[in-house]
Amino acid sequence: MTPDAHRLDPAGSKRIHVVQGEFAVSDDPDVMLGTILGSCVAACVRDPLAGVGGMNHFLLPGDQDTATAGGPGALRYGVQSMELLLNALYRKGARRERLEAKLFGGARVIDGLSDIGQQNAAFAERFLQAEGIALRGGSLRGDQARRIQFWPVSGRVRQMALVEPARQVFEAERAKPVPAPAAGDGELELF
Amino acid sequence: MPAAAQIRVMVVDDQMTMRSLVRTGLQQLGFSDITEAPDGEEALRQILARPVHLVISDFNMPRLDGMGLLRALRSHGPTAKTAFIMLTGRADKELVQKAVQLGVNNYLVKPFTVQTLKDKIEAVFGKLT
Repeated sequence: MTPDAHRLDPAGSKRIHVVQGEFAVSDDPDVMLGTILGSCVAACVRDPLAGVGGMNHFLLPGDQDTATAGGPGALRYGVQSMELLLNALYRKGARRERLEAKLFGGARVIDGLSDIGQQNAAFAERFLQAEGIALRGGSLRGDQARRIQFWPVSGRVRQMALVEPARQVFEAERAKPVPAPAAGDGELELF
Repeated sequence: MPAAAQIRVMVVDDQMTMRSLVRTGLQQLGFSDITEAPDGEEALRQILARPVHLVISDFNMPRLDGMGLLRALRSHGPTAKTAFIMLTGRADKELVQKAVQLGVNNYLVKPFTVQTLKDKIEAVFGKLT
């Protein structure tokens, strides 16, 4: 989260903008997590008993090796994004068996290109099913970009369709480079 | 040079999706004797019943985490020399250093490629056939 990403909105909520590749969690009832989605997907996950929730925002790379769906292709980015979010929730007291999720995004924003949105949406649904996390709703696929606002403690979500800038949202998502997988030892040389 | 098919591997992660990713990667490398556990406690129970040559384990898990599993294996004679590769995130440097003190053989930063998985295993076992 960048320093300027945490602001007060006119209604008094502390607003955190979750950009592509990032996630945020909070147990503050005044915090609202927001993002803008084209073909990306955001998972809004919370533990209602622990009073903590969070949101991620991910895009599987377009050259994912669909031949090994579920295998170590581009799906690893989605898995990593979900894992980071879930681990952050656990650190704040959430329990796996109480988690519930809402999924948003995965739009087919531009006709004629491969349907990345569908792949993102399908991945997110499969992930929740495989991990036994209850899917409580949301809004996936379609052809419009969305603005999502999520209050992680109450679980309330507000969605607004973005009709005009859909193409810009999609192009911005595609322009953002996918982070390189961790090749080799990273910054730590121990072995 | 060890044959991958002869190395018995245990994959430990609380996320089934991650276990599946690691298993698929291992299968691409020629491993066939692969078992899984969702946490350190279950992994330990299975390993004590049927020892393995290599454990690839996440750190963050319920009940017994990866560090606890490593400590338990190292402190028990028959499993003390089991090869152990820790799965970590990028921000876990202190964790890796602690794992090194406990005798971890290598670590794998997520997300990783099959080639990196291979490199890490070969760094422990030598070139695979």
